[in-house]
Amino acid sequence: MKRLLVAALLMGTGLSATTASAQEWPTKPIKLVVPYAPGGYTDAVGRITARFLEKELGQTVIVDNRAGGGGIVGSDLVSKSPGDGYTLCVCSVGAISIAPVAQTTSYDPIKSFKPISVVSTIPQTVIVNPSLPINSMEDLVKYAKANPGKLTYGSSGAGGLMYFSVALFDARVGTKMTHVPFKGGSPATAAVVSGEVNLSFTNMTDALPQIEANTVRALAVTSATRSEFTPKLPTVAETVSPGYAVESWNGVMAPASTPDAIIAKVSDALKKMAADPEVKKNMAVAGASTMFTTPAEYTAQITREVDQWRTLLKEISEKKT
Amino acid sequence: MMDVFSALGHGFSVAATPLNLLFCLIGAVCGTLIGVLPGLGPVATISLLLPATYALDPVGAIIMLAGIYYGAQYGGSTTAILVNIPGESTSVVTAIDGYKMAQQGRAGEALAIAAIGSFIAGCFGTVVIALLGPPLALMTQKFASPDYFSLMVLGLVSAVVLANGSAFRAVSMIFLGLLLGMVGMDINTGEARMTFGLIELSDGINFVALVMGLFGVAEVISNLEGVSTRIVNHSKITSIWPSFKVLRGAWGAVMRGTLLGTLFGILPGGGATIASFSSYALEKRVSKTPERFGNGAIEGVAGPESANNAAAQTSFVPLLTMGIPTSATMALLVGALTLHGIAPGPTIISRQPDLFWGLIASMFIGNAMLVIINLPMIGIWVRLLNVPYRILYLIIAVVCAIGVFSVNNSSFDIYMTVGFTALGYILRKLDAEPAPLLMGFVLGPMVEENFRRSLITSYGDPMVFLQRPISLVLLLLSAALLISIVMPSISKRRTEVFQE
Repeated sequence: MKRLLVAALLMGTGLSATTASAQEWPTKPIKLVVPYAPGGYTDAVGRITARFLEKELGQTVIVDNRAGGGGIVGSDLVSKSPGDGYTLCVCSVGAISIAPVAQTTSYDPIKSFKPISVVSTIPQTVIVNPSLPINSMEDLVKYAKANPGKLTYGSSGAGGLMYFSVALFDARVGTKMTHVPFKGGSPATAAVVSGEVNLSFTNMTDALPQIEANTVRALAVTSATRSEFTPKLPTVAETVSPGYAVESWNGVMAPASTPDAIIAKVSDALKKMAADPEVKKNMAVAGASTMFTTPAEYTAQITREVDQWRTLLKEISEKKT
Repeated sequence: MMDVFSALGHGFSVAATPLNLLFCLIGAVCGTLIGVLPGLGPVATISLLLPATYALDPVGAIIMLAGIYYGAQYGGSTTAILVNIPGESTSVVTAIDGYKMAQQGRAGEALAIAAIGSFIAGCFGTVVIALLGPPLALMTQKFASPDYFSLMVLGLVSAVVLANGSAFRAVSMIFLGLLLGMVGMDINTGEARMTFGLIELSDGINFVALVMGLFGVAEVISNLEGVSTRIVNHSKITSIWPSFKVLRGAWGAVMRGTLLGTLFGILPGGGATIASFSSYALEKRVSKTPERFGNGAIEGVAGPESANNAAAQTSFVPLLTMGIPTSATMALLVGALTLHGIAPGPTIISRQPDLFWGLIASMFIGNAMLVIINLPMIGIWVRLLNVPYRILYLIIAVVCAIGVFSVNNSSFDIYMTVGFTALGYILRKLDAEPAPLLMGFVLGPMVEENFRRSLITSYGDPMVFLQRPISLVLLLLSAALLISIVMPSISKRRTEVFQE
């Protein structure tokens, strides 16, 4: 009995301690996990975010690069970290919306995290080798239908967004193109330039310099709306596949056990960040558009995406059998 | 031709400002230091320093980061020669004869040749970028998956030549390396292979962990076991500077290595590694006394060290002319440029002439700085071998652990090093050399990737490897090399049979 009482007391103080710390948070440096190697695109977004949060929250924010498994290693680490607000993640679409569906991860995209806000988005660009007689999305569909299985597309590997976006496109418009995986998005883009593959759905950052140099021909962007960087390029949705929308995003997420008071504080800070002109400028340099979503909107977006990829994978496996 | 010189002149005016000279020096010094520390590679260092360059002007930042990269190539041979720990895949072969030379008391000689060869190769590589950068980049565009596959096959066949002992053991080691290289996510299906459910293994086995275990710590253990080799080591350090005779012997190797490195460095992927391995194989083939290789042949240090440094310079070609990074380090430099608002792409030369020509000019300056920094240090490094081994081995073990950890900030990689140490020790007991294993490990995944990609893009037709001229030539070379390896042993066996 006595022991139980002590336990209850301890638990009580423990609880009050967490609520108190949530109010005072942050009282010590915050670790912002970037699940990719330094120098990459997500790393740039992570460092811009860290710098702003540091200013806004008045605490040191340390960027901790935990690369591996296409973002799974770092995301997994955050999902298992204590939910005290001192470990946050700049997660990305691949490890959160795709990997849990396409392979086995020890975390659940919804249950293991509390999404706070998307901070940046970047569309993919449909690029083709200029020697092909394909000048528009309509041409692409016509050509692909006339030559089933003949058009080849490069991707960053079977588990990545570059593969899934084309697989979704194939399923929606009824074409069949041949998948050629590479080790990463850069070599896949380079293969479109050299003509080793015919096309790819490439990240805007990688695509822009090649489009400007006319080494590839850009046909469309994959996002729901046109990109601020290429206002003349139509979307895939407005040309051949209404409703088609694939976009790469980075967002701040916390372990699922993080108190809502802390989530709200971070959300407020990120809202200010999305309106900050300097942040916008720096994001644009990295090829990204600055974004803000509420935790509820962000959760809904992930749920929607997970659903989209799960349906697609089911369609693909049904077609195979 | 004239434009190149006036452009290069402009480049020197950019690179020779006091501030940019300072950045170049910082890069060269940092590069040398991390090259010397086993396991700490340019990738980890550049990523650590990347945030610090935000405040700099982009040209200065790139000059410094590039200096770290090619500076590390100078320093990387130091530990390979002194304590048999290659810091990077490109100095694996240097360890074979370099360490033997150190054991014979000729460490200074080996280090000096490595530095001089690196300097000549670095300058030559830079001249090639300045004069031929854009056309060479177009040449790499002609290389497609089947050609890469055949190039990797040539690399694997040369790996057999590396072995001093039995060809059978060498081939077994290559296959063990191929198997280890299979671990990780298969890019064709997205399935994890041989990872035992460990996400830490999904990107494959960490190369640095493998090398540190197999070479570094395993070497320490076998040294502690039998003191004999170490006694040889610090009792007779006969020469620090190479004699004229040695220099003359190494000259040809430096030239051949430089040419090989310049050529292979331009190719993405394992270009620099293949360059150093094939330079070693070439030297052993052209030598009139191939039996010296593996027992301290100076050409075995001079060739590969020149090759990897030439390759380090020319690996900038695809990045600077096409905006295509060919290695992890180059990808980091793309990141650095992007953060400074410069998108590396095909237009970079015309849009950023200051950056392009300034960087090239800084490479000449940096290479000169490196040889000036490195030559006087040789005396210090050689004296390091006089440090009692009971202290030295602790330093080696700790630095290896830090180096391994620095790659991914992952303690799992340190456990892996421990595991590979055990493997390395067993292999040593079996008299099996680890260099062919590493060659299999590095090339295996690339062979598979390019083989499968070739077949996908040819719609399943295997003739694609014979129809492409580049691929055909490389396969014929591989076949010729294979026959030349097998023939002597066959004819030897025949003479034995006849004698009986």
